[in-house]
Amino acid sequence: MIGQTHGRAVTLGILVAAGVVLVLAAAVIGLLSATGRGSPALRRELWLRLASWAVLLPLMLGPVMLGRVWVIGAVTLLGLLCLREYDRATGLFREPVMAGAVALGILFVNFAALDHWYGFFVALFPLTVAVLAVVSLPLDRPDGYIQRTGLAVFAYMLFGAGLAHLGYMANDRYYQPLVLLLLTAVAINDVFAFTAGKLLGGPKLLPGTSPNKTVSGALGALCGTTLLVAGVGWPVFRGTRLEDPLLLVGLGVIVSIAGQGGDLVLSSIKRDLGIKDMGTVIPGHGGLLDRFNSLLLVAPAVFHYVGYYVGFGMDQPTRLITG
Amino acid sequence: MKPWTLRPARDHGLTPGERLRSHGREPGLGSRAVAAGWRTLVRAYLGAAHGLRVDGLEHLPEPPFVMVANHGSHLDALTLAAALPRRMAANAFALAAGDTFFSNAPVAAFAAYAVNALPVWRRRTTAADLDALRARLQEDRAVLILFPEGTRTRDGVMGPFRSGVGALVAGTPVPVVPCFLAGAWAAWPPGQKMPRPGPMRLVIGAALRFEEVARDREGTMRVAAVCEAAVRGLGTVSR
Repeated sequence: MIGQTHGRAVTLGILVAAGVVLVLAAAVIGLLSATGRGSPALRRELWLRLASWAVLLPLMLGPVMLGRVWVIGAVTLLGLLCLREYDRATGLFREPVMAGAVALGILFVNFAALDHWYGFFVALFPLTVAVLAVVSLPLDRPDGYIQRTGLAVFAYMLFGAGLAHLGYMANDRYYQPLVLLLLTAVAINDVFAFTAGKLLGGPKLLPGTSPNKTVSGALGALCGTTLLVAGVGWPVFRGTRLEDPLLLVGLGVIVSIAGQGGDLVLSSIKRDLGIKDMGTVIPGHGGLLDRFNSLLLVAPAVFHYVGYYVGFGMDQPTRLITG
Repeated sequence: MKPWTLRPARDHGLTPGERLRSHGREPGLGSRAVAAGWRTLVRAYLGAAHGLRVDGLEHLPEPPFVMVANHGSHLDALTLAAALPRRMAANAFALAAGDTFFSNAPVAAFAAYAVNALPVWRRRTTAADLDALRARLQEDRAVLILFPEGTRTRDGVMGPFRSGVGALVAGTPVPVVPCFLAGAWAAWPPGQKMPRPGPMRLVIGAALRFEEVARDREGTMRVAAVCEAAVRGLGTVSR
């Protein structure tokens, strides 16, 4: 099973590393302030970002340490809050029937994860899409039908079916090191991309979609994250089929590409809508979706990759609530 | 292919504090649920404690429109909103005095979420504010509830109407629905701490239209005068 042999060590290592990074960042910004480098506006922005991270990191890592119910609860809450931001940005909130149906779908799919009922969990994607297709028919208002149904299905795919895979991972007895690794790796993916882009420069990746991303940044993130995930993944997956270095590299590639993909998905959404951020709830960052977009595609991709080679919670009891 | 019309919420990008005080605040799922629950409570209360009788519902046009009434009590906006049919009430906003209802966050949140109130700041309403309200009316097909006297009457006698309602509707196809509310001032006059039970009656009059009136000083004052006369007329009928 995952993390059976070295899981505790990896978990501890990741938590300590996260704390160290926060302290180092605070020291660097403090040094900038003390030596007077950088404009006051830049320093204020950096402090704001650091403060947001200081709040976000415990909120992300805490539920992982507290247990599977907490993880699934946190994923449900995150899904619903991201849905709210998406609804208000796209205007879907003006269709309460559709927005409500997607919210219900998110609750159901996370319930299936909580119940450890894989069949229901998987079936809910086509079933919920079918419900979304018919739920607005009684309104007898075909004007805008495709738009509201399309927006709703997109929302359910990202915040319901997609994100809930992260919660389902918690059904494994030793899920902690993998989930912690994913959460930190997608964040570091962004840092790698930013750093590589700034250091190497070069042609833009998709200037119409995201004007600050470069090809060198994308490739740098791909290399860095692959190495990180493969390196930390090796002790986590010792004793399973995934300890094969080639498969671990595959895992790293998936995390980096899916993470960057999620970022570009959100950039495309924002450009199409003509807005800059998805919200204002995180000072210095924007909305929740601006921060957590990388997880949206990483969660299902990693779940099925690891699930194919190893499996999640195969030795755990199923149908805990409904059985 | 017919293009999609993707419109972010009018208050997108505002911080929570700014959003509470914004004329562009659009209620979401959570707000609607809270407002619906509050509406049920208010309707039960108005029926039980005040035996509210509503006449003239058939005069209500299709939204958008503006409701004007005499103002004597904090109960007025609650009653007008509660009397509307549910589908109109979900998109109905009362204009409330900013200094009274929006100066501190908890009261502002209550006014915004339970009563769907939008702030109007005495002596600080700009042309941009009026444009925003006009846009809400026409584009969102909203219902606006306002009290052109500008303040609650202290002695029970209806005061003169100010020209704000004219600035909103003159030159637009948005109708004004005059209403007279009897018994609200007697139940909860200004200065009294709690409302006292007593009969209340709401009379809704025929809609007035001001599409040909110019939006200048003379036009807006004429609109105010016509609305005032209509509401006074309903007041004599309701006795």
